[in-house]
Formats: sequence, structure tokens, C-alpha cells
Amino acid sequence: MKRQPRQVWLFVLPFLAGFLFLTLVPMAASLALSFVRTDGNLSLEAVTWVGLEHYRDALEVDGTAALTESDPWYFGVLGGRPADARFYRALYNSLVFTVFTVSLGLCVSLAVALLLNRRARGMSVVRTIVYLPHVLGGVAAVMIWSWLFNPRFGWINQCLRLVYDGLDPLVMWMTGNGTGDWPVPAWLHSPLWCKPAVIIMSIWTMGPAMLVFLAAIRRVPPDLHQAARLDGAGAWARFRSITLPQITPAILFNLVFSCIFSMQAFNESYLLQNSSQRDGLLFYVRYIYETAFESPYRIGYGSALAWILFAILLVVILPLVWTSRKWVHDALSEGSR
Amino acid sequence: MTAFCRATTTFKPPLPVRLRRWWTTALILCAVVLLCAFSLLPIAWAFASSLMPLEKVYTYPPAFSLDDPQWSNYGEAVTRLPVARFLVNSLVITLSSVVGAVITSSMAGFALARLRFRWRGALLICVLISMMIPAQVLLIPRFLLYDLLGWVGTYKPLIVPAWLGGGAFNVLLFRQFFRMIPQDYEDAARLDGATTWQTYRLILLPMVKPAIVAAAVLSFVYHWQEFLDPLIYLGDYSKYPISLGLRMYQTQAGTWANLLMAASLIALVPVAIMFFLCDRYVMRGLGVEQTVTRTT
Repeated sequence: MKRQPRQVWLFVLPFLAGFLFLTLVPMAASLALSFVRTDGNLSLEAVTWVGLEHYRDALEVDGTAALTESDPWYFGVLGGRPADARFYRALYNSLVFTVFTVSLGLCVSLAVALLLNRRARGMSVVRTIVYLPHVLGGVAAVMIWSWLFNPRFGWINQCLRLVYDGLDPLVMWMTGNGTGDWPVPAWLHSPLWCKPAVIIMSIWTMGPAMLVFLAAIRRVPPDLHQAARLDGAGAWARFRSITLPQITPAILFNLVFSCIFSMQAFNESYLLQNSSQRDGLLFYVRYIYETAFESPYRIGYGSALAWILFAILLVVILPLVWTSRKWVHDALSEGSR
Repeated sequence: MTAFCRATTTFKPPLPVRLRRWWTTALILCAVVLLCAFSLLPIAWAFASSLMPLEKVYTYPPAFSLDDPQWSNYGEAVTRLPVARFLVNSLVITLSSVVGAVITSSMAGFALARLRFRWRGALLICVLISMMIPAQVLLIPRFLLYDLLGWVGTYKPLIVPAWLGGGAFNVLLFRQFFRMIPQDYEDAARLDGATTWQTYRLILLPMVKPAIVAAAVLSFVYHWQEFLDPLIYLGDYSKYPISLGLRMYQTQAGTWANLLMAASLIALVPVAIMFFLCDRYVMRGLGVEQTVTRTT
């Protein structure tokens, strides 16, 4: 086929311009900004070069300072009180959120995809219903959930109390004490329970991951299943040795992107914050936002924080991608298809 | 032969097998019902709360029943803050972004799928890279860039990026769909003297309608839900989209849970309509349903 050198650029120009001016140049600028200090009014006047100082400020741990009761347990792992305690809190919160959201989210969405992979009447309706929360997500959904999680009037704790009431006679009979004084979690008003609440919220919007799995499961050649069935393989054996290896590209895709998205979570953290959480919902991107876009507008420090997060994501994701040739089915031909 | 077929179809499996099948069906049904409940009950509860008078919302123990629905809550919700204004703002931002995203990402996808040029492989890698780079690394420098251009406080920082590439995911979606079209269409168009642009615009683009709808719906959902960017770039509250408007509701009218729920549900209506109209296309676009490429 003949090459069409001139008109090609017309087609790729918008994308290339965006990639150049909104991705590459900002990336370089962000790296440069992380080495400077500005005078603190969201502009680039009075810039001073500070080298790696921001990175040191963020990561430094003072080994001599004694830990107090109110410090979280992971400060002990660090071996002292960090110079920027909120940085480590934000990092810890985001990591916990990511680990639970990604692991639970992928398991649940895979299970749901397997469940919905049936040619039964009404299944497409169920699939739409499961995908709906993702479509309806965003700020409105966060508002709805914050009301659901209301410790006193929210529907979740009402249901819990109903369950407690139902258990009351049984527990009374077994232990002699009723369930009347069993506590209900304060959810978003508790430093401990605010993270589970947000994790449940994010699993509610697992629709896209589920669809990726469903599409992958439908692409598994049916003759593989038929052959295995003839050989007497049960449902679990077929899932384990046929479906699972065949959908590894989808698993890799979902793993990488749900890690990226969970580490970027901002809305929940920003909209649901309150003082009784004691920074339990301070996610990393909210910390970046507060550093750079709220007084005293520390742009340089915020950029350094962003690059630390990027480095952490690379450390998590690159091994996944590198080892993917070992465990991902036909990754190469998938890519060039 | 027919007798054999009849025999197999009327064959009744032994009782244990039938019991197990019945048991599996019941289990699946239970799981499906639970799943639907998990997905829908939050919305249902929000709807119930939005129809309660305020004193009933804050009673303990709470009432599950819903007698005497207060439809006037919706009227009050839209007048207490300019919700209609927020909705219009959101529609303006979202629709202009979606148009740009579909146009530019389909062009890039077309080039990646159907055109041959030297840097095609490199371009594909650029698309993948831009998908992987976390947005917060770009947050601060992009703000400074838009500030330099004098765009802060306008809708431009929210809309212009969509016109420059339209998102790597959409590019890949279009690439996938353009690749499935047989080469013959392109060859025939070229024989008839069509330019590359005409081939794209008149021949191939009409053949990837599922991709267009899927990309449009997904971008619509994305831009409708956008919160961080408007929060950074918009200062004047008459320009707020609905996502920031709801945030105002939360901070300024914090104790009006019923009105907040009503406003939230109003904010969901446009995306819900959009999605239900195009659900089938989205599922095709994402490869969940079989794609039928029209060949007539």
C-alpha cells in the first residue's frame, strides 16, 4: 500500500498537539517545579532553586523523636516521627484504600462477570443494573452514600440494628445478654470505619471492570470448554484451567488501571472529610490538592509529592507489566491484533 | 433419526441431577437478586429520603414507610440553589467536550488503524503512555499553563483538552473498530477518487456507529462527573457545573438531607437517560455484545 505522508498529519495533529502540550511539556515542567520553591501565590514569580529539598522534606524521618500514643502504628515501622506526618498518613490511607479496593473489587467483579455470563432471559437487564452505579457515580453518588452511612439516621445502620434486633433472642438465650448494647459503626465519623465505608462505595461502582471481564470471558473459544467437559472436567476445574488463563489479559488490564484510579481517588476524600475522622480519609491526591491549591500554595512541594506518587505507581505497575509475558495468555498477539 | 432426537429431548434426568440443577438455579437467582439490590437500593433509599418531610428524615427510630410523599421537595431543591443553572452549565461543558472527544479521537484512531506512516508505532506508544500517566502529575503544570493563557475562570481548561485527542481510551476504541472494516471499502473509495479525508468522513466513519455512540456516552459520563478540574479552574459560582453545585448544597445546606437527596437525583437524570438510550451500543463498543458490522 502507498504511504500517505501529508494527510496523515491532519488526522493525528489534534492528538499530537494534546500529547505534546498537555502531557509531555507539563510532565517536564512538573519535574522542574519539584526542584524549586515559589513565593506562594500560585504563580511563577520569585522562584528559587532548592534541589532535592522537597523530596527530603517529604520523606525524612526523625529517628530521635519519641512516638506518642496518638501516632499511628506505621510510624513505628518507619523508625521515628516523620518530618511531614501528613504525607505518610496520606500515603498510608491511599495504599490501604488501593489494596482493598483493587483486591476486593477485582474478585467481586470477576465473580459477577461469571454469574452474568449466561444466555438467560433478563441477564442483559441485570448487567445494565450492575453497570448503572458507575454511570450514576460522581459527586451525586458520594452524596447519596454519605447519607446512607449517616451513623444515626442512615439506612445502613438501620439495617444493622434490625439484624441485631433479630438476633436478640438467640444471643440472649446463649449468653444471657441481649444485643441491645451492641455498637453500630459510626462510619464516616470514625477514624477506623471511614475507610471501609469508602471501600464499599468504590466497590459499588465496579461496573467497568466487570464489563472488561465479561467481554474477555465471552471471547474464550467455546470448543475449549466443550472438550474439557467431554474429558469430565467440572465447573471449577474448567474455570481454573480454561477461563482463568484465557482472561489473563483482562486481569492485567483491570489490575493496572484500578491501581492507577484508586491511587488517584479524590472526590470521596474531599467531599466526605470531617474532623472526627482525624485524617483517616486524607488521600494522597487530596494532600497534593491542599498543598498546591490552598494557602500557602506550595507548588514546588506539591509537584514533588506528585512525582513521589508517580514513582510509587511505577514500582507497583512496572513489575506487573514486565512479568506479564510469564503469566498473561498470548499478550503479544493480543497487542498486535 | 427423528425418533432419536425426540428421545433425547424428552429424556428426564434422574432425581439427584434434577435436584442439583434446581439448587444451582436457586443459588444463581439469589445471587442475582442480591446483586441488583446492592446496585439499586442506595438510589431507592435516596429517592425515599427525597420525598420525606424534614422532620421525618431526622426521626429515630427511622421510618421505612413512605406515606404522604412530599413532591414539593423537588421544587424547593431547585430554588434553594440555582440547580437549573448548574445543570445548564454542566450540559454546556459536557456536550462541547463530547463532540470534541469523538471527532479528534476518531481521527487519531482512524490514522492508527488504516493509514500507513513512518511513526505509527511510536504514535501508538504515545497513546498508551498518555493512558498510564497519572493525572495528578499534570495537575499543577497544567494549571500554570492555563493561568499563563488567561483561561482560569473560564470553561476552556475543561473543554479544550477534549478537542486535543479526546482521551487515549477513545482513540484505542476507534482504532479497534476501524481495524475490523475490510480493506475493500477503502480501496473502492480510492478508485472512485476519494481523498483520505473523504474516505474517513463518508465511508468509514458511518460504519463505526457503535464506537461513536460508546465513545460519546463514556465521555459524557466522564465529563458529567468531573469534579477536581472544575474545582480548580472555576471560581465564580454562577459558572459551576452540577458536581460543584452539589458540593455547595452539602456545605451551605448541610442539614437539609431531603433536599440534598432530591438535588442529587436531579443531577443523575441526564446521565441515566443518556445511558438507557444507548446501553446496547456501549455494550457493543466495549465488546460485551457481538458487533455486527453492516455490510450492505
